[in-house]
Amino acid sequence: MIRRRQAMTAWLFLTPAVLFFVLLFFLPIGNQLLTGAYDSDGTSFVGLANFSRAFGDPEVLHSFLITLVYAAGTLVVGTAVGLGLAVILNQSLRGRTLFRSVLLIPYLTSVSIIGLLWRNILDPQVGILNRLLEAIGLPGQTWLSTHPLATIVGITVWSSGGYTMVLFLAGLQGIPGLYYEAARIDGAGPWRRFFAITLPLLAPTTLFVSIIGLISTLQQFALPYIVTGGGPGNATSLYAHRLFMVAFNDNDFGYASALSLLLLVVVLILSLAQLRIGDRADA
Amino acid sequence: MPPVSHAVNRRSFLQLGLGVTVLGAVGCSPAKPASKKEDSRTFTIYWNAGHGYKAYQQVIDQFGKDHDLQINWQKFQWPDLTTKLTADFRSGNVPDLVEEVSAGTGTQYGLAGNVLALDDFAAADKAFGFPGDYLDQAVVARQYEGKTYSVPLHLTANGLLFYNKAMIGTAPTTWDEFLDAAKSATKDKVSGCSLNSDPSYAAPYYDQQKVDFSDVAAKQFMQPADDALKAMQFLQDLIYTHKVSPAPVATTDYSGPQKLFSAKRAAMFVSGPWDIGPIRQGSPDIELGLAEPLTGTVQSAAMAGSGLMIPSKAKDPKLSWELITRLGAVKTELAATKEAGMSMPRKSWAADPSVAADPNLAVIAKSLSVVAKQDIALSASGKAAQIQDLWKKAYQQMIIQHAPVGPTLDDFRKQAGAAL
Repeated sequence: MIRRRQAMTAWLFLTPAVLFFVLLFFLPIGNQLLTGAYDSDGTSFVGLANFSRAFGDPEVLHSFLITLVYAAGTLVVGTAVGLGLAVILNQSLRGRTLFRSVLLIPYLTSVSIIGLLWRNILDPQVGILNRLLEAIGLPGQTWLSTHPLATIVGITVWSSGGYTMVLFLAGLQGIPGLYYEAARIDGAGPWRRFFAITLPLLAPTTLFVSIIGLISTLQQFALPYIVTGGGPGNATSLYAHRLFMVAFNDNDFGYASALSLLLLVVVLILSLAQLRIGDRADA
Repeated sequence: MPPVSHAVNRRSFLQLGLGVTVLGAVGCSPAKPASKKEDSRTFTIYWNAGHGYKAYQQVIDQFGKDHDLQINWQKFQWPDLTTKLTADFRSGNVPDLVEEVSAGTGTQYGLAGNVLALDDFAAADKAFGFPGDYLDQAVVARQYEGKTYSVPLHLTANGLLFYNKAMIGTAPTTWDEFLDAAKSATKDKVSGCSLNSDPSYAAPYYDQQKVDFSDVAAKQFMQPADDALKAMQFLQDLIYTHKVSPAPVATTDYSGPQKLFSAKRAAMFVSGPWDIGPIRQGSPDIELGLAEPLTGTVQSAAMAGSGLMIPSKAKDPKLSWELITRLGAVKTELAATKEAGMSMPRKSWAADPSVAADPNLAVIAKSLSVVAKQDIALSASGKAAQIQDLWKKAYQQMIIQHAPVGPTLDDFRKQAGAAL
């Protein structure tokens, strides 16, 4: 009787959350699955045709490939930058609180503003970056034409670096100072202490950063849409941008739904793989 | 603690929580919920952000007062307007009046059942003068199988040559003269001309080589191939061989050349009347020259200009039509021309003394007489947007990424043919 009451109480408390997830997550996903099984008009049932079509669509395959490159670049560079900043700002420096706050501002800024800001900064003719380069005698660059994907990676790292830094700072502050003291007594230098103590003990934070980063980069849409419109050509047409074009430009919501579900599967597989790797590392 | 007492406490707690939740939900609800009547009195308009002229604002405000309507005038960039409208058509929650990006878009939506054919409204409203008082090319491009899916709002030509009179002495008239003038004007930080990242701005050049963008019946694109190659190679050479134009930057913004021109960093660019206003307002010190479209094999320009369409599920299509008649009245057209230099589709507008006396409008009128014919079947195919996206990719590869013109055009033809 008591167990039943406890179960009922638990369900009562859980109901709002369950309803929230069912109504706003699982039902739409189910609806996507259903839409993905119909043609572009939503009238004829096509089964798995939209899903199999994706594997032979060169535009989709290209967008998936560059999304992986974008995700890898952003994760590697972003993690290194965030960790580096965290290590520096974990020292007792004057004004470190100010630096921490300033570095977090890009993360708190709307992606639309970031996109427009960088689009103007990088403009080869009237952008401030080329003017600065010219002022110091260096030739101006056409960043968004010659290295568009790398530029988008750079903007992403710039905007998310502060957040990664905060996560690593939290991880760093959880490492007992005792370990460093013992290592110093044993004669370990700064690099040795970093690789033997800091990095291994930051593994859970690194795992968290990489999973969150992977999910957000695989779903990236707004930045290339605002900065380059997916161009030049299709050089920055990431998977989510391609999906958007299929839905709203080609008006093929059946195929777009199938593409979105395939992305969900990829994100799930990669996230589970990362968790598995993390578990093995812990063991 | 005895179980009973525990259960009673929990129950009390839950009851209290439930009560607070209900009270909170009630308390957070609007003090005076919007009634259905109020909703039905809201009139929603989707409009291009660059066309929010005061002349239209006044007409729309007056329309709202006359009918006691709450006007919800939403302004977007064209790609965002298209996205919003597509989502609205899917959901069935549509606006009452929409500005059409260009001729043919309404046809595409109309054939899918999303916007209304307007012929019956026009037939019942002789005083409005549609289509009799409208220039033929603006109307024909909006018709398919005897039905008209939008009314032209503006009629413009993409292909006008904008030049800075202080940098270019005499306006060039041919491609050779254009190249010579661009070479002469190129110095230091000034480019002789400036190309656009938007592929629609290539149309005047390939039209001037008598190239047809599409022939849906034959599933052909950019033909004759040799002339298409000549046109696109000329554009690419302006940047990479003659170095008289900077490579454009891939963005969704089509105002790059105008901004360079306004900043006196480019001496010439090819565009339409929509750039006259920003230059006059932003750089009044520039002595702006406006010349007729260039002559390649022929003199030609690309037709442009937005229209007005009524979604099939608009709340009151008759009311939407009334606003079309007010916005399309010759008085409103003249006011918008005076304000922004925009050219209009009515014959009576062209005949007005204030238009005939304006030298810039005379150039635009001349350009309108040489606009290339549009392939209406492309819009009717329902694949126009998809093919335009493929063209954008090919154009940017050639112009921004310096891809070889011939193979890139061949790839485009294959992909566009397959998309059809």
